Amino acid sequence: MRVVVTINMVGLNAYRRDTFQHPTLGLAVVLALVAWTAAAIWLYHDRARRTSLLLVADLAIAVAAMALTPLVKTPDFNATIPGFWVMGALLAWAIHWHWKGGLVAAIALSVTDLLPRSDLDQGNYGNVFLVLIGGPIVGYMCESLQRMARERDAAERAAAAAEERTRLARAVHDGVLQVLTMTQRRGAAAGGEWADLGRLAGEQERSLRSLIRQQDTLPTAAEGRVDLAGALEAMATAHPVRVDVATPGGALLVDAHVATETVAAVRACLDNVLAHVGPEASAWVLAQAAPDAITISVRDDGPGIASGRLEQAEAEGRLGVVSSIRGRIEELGGTATMESGSWGTEWELTVPLA
Amino acid sequence: MVRVMVVDDHPMWRDAVERDLQAAGHDVVAVASNGREAMARFPASAPQVVVLDLQLPDNTGVQVTSMMLEHDPTARVLILSASGEQGDVLEAIKAGATGYLVKSASSAELVDAVTRVAEGEAVFTPGLAGLVLGEFRRIADGPPDDPRDQLTERETEILKMVATGMSYKQIASRLVLSHRTVQNHVQNTLRKLQMNNRVQLTRWAIEHGLDTEGE
Repeated sequence: MRVVVTINMVGLNAYRRDTFQHPTLGLAVVLALVAWTAAAIWLYHDRARRTSLLLVADLAIAVAAMALTPLVKTPDFNATIPGFWVMGALLAWAIHWHWKGGLVAAIALSVTDLLPRSDLDQGNYGNVFLVLIGGPIVGYMCESLQRMARERDAAERAAAAAEERTRLARAVHDGVLQVLTMTQRRGAAAGGEWADLGRLAGEQERSLRSLIRQQDTLPTAAEGRVDLAGALEAMATAHPVRVDVATPGGALLVDAHVATETVAAVRACLDNVLAHVGPEASAWVLAQAAPDAITISVRDDGPGIASGRLEQAEAEGRLGVVSSIRGRIEELGGTATMESGSWGTEWELTVPLA
Repeated sequence: MVRVMVVDDHPMWRDAVERDLQAAGHDVVAVASNGREAMARFPASAPQVVVLDLQLPDNTGVQVTSMMLEHDPTARVLILSASGEQGDVLEAIKAGATGYLVKSASSAELVDAVTRVAEGEAVFTPGLAGLVLGEFRRIADGPPDDPRDQLTERETEILKMVATGMSYKQIASRLVLSHRTVQNHVQNTLRKLQMNNRVQLTRWAIEHGLDTEGE
């Protein structure tokens, strides 16, 4: 940019050389400015050389070149010798000292420009006005850009660190899972007290595994929406019945209210399993997601419900759990159906997504 | 007797699996503790079934799966993983693995899985069935001109039952089908998944101009 304004400066001064009262002095000033431009480009190139002294010198030379104008040209000159060349120093100040630097440099240049002029026309006023506005604005923008770059760097570093932590955690978790699983297997083979220890290890293994899965989907949760798959995992892990949760992979984002009610309904299904089949029962939860609805299947390996028993219970008004499941799902505009057979009992809960 | 290779980076675990398999009368022809070793020992030992831990230190589980099957398409890969159903399990199955088992499965379950996988039978956990259902759901909800195969209603129904922990026997009796038919349906879902993966890879290659290789 300095090169462009320098060429512009040299060209304009050559074109207007007849307005010079002292052409030799004028030529010297122009040459000095060209030399300083070359020096400045080299000096500014290295961050270490970009000192306050350099910036002050840069502005001083620009001011000096402007101040010399009345001596070189007539006192009622039209354009200063450096003209737009002063832009270089102005922008350097704005970049280095932000809006304050831009403002100071702009004032210094404007005052130097205005003081020796005998009359102020529209053009002079426009230039000064632009310089005064432009300096601080460029400075302010530089500051924002530099701050944004810093923030971006910090965010990138934080993300890299988090990723590294996740990777390490994965390795550690994997090792812990292996040992827990091994304890579970060996314990079961050894029998007796060891079998109890193995069972405990198995429980821990399942909790850790579900925790890892929940964490994997955590960052995708957005405002007001929660991950239903993770919520189901968390609930199932804490439930006394042994539950296997199958999800479509990734987060299942639904409104917080829908998630709360659906999880509560699934919990009621599992409570039902605990009450009717017992703590030794196994249950499976499958979550599926279509664009317009989610479907949750809950199955247990119990003996099933004999046909007619539900109707009988309903008639006797003993349908607390069942109505709680149906009630919650129908409140969400969905349907809850139940099937039972020798393979156990299965609830299918379908909830529309608005 | 099945010729088995065990790939796992935990020596304790590898030994246990080896012992279980030998006790059941299988022949453990090779072991390896990472992807590089596995690839080096695979051709000479020519196992029928590879029991593979996906969490290898060099992170090459999925790659090892596809390289082995490229080298010997008759080999079967059974994924054994501690970390549960993750995305990479689905990737390994798409790359051609025939079965998947969590490490908490009992010795009997492991031996049974190896035998079934050796016969080419698909071995699924409920978690994996859920992931596969999710994968086909995403295809079904995608653009209508997708050339990838979708599941039939029956296949979806059966996979749903697998995902809720039902055995083939239970599914067969619930749907009044033969055990063999249920098995075939599950097998088909796996075949479609792997076929779709190839279609996708080919499409990707064409879009990126990689199909002109060798011209």
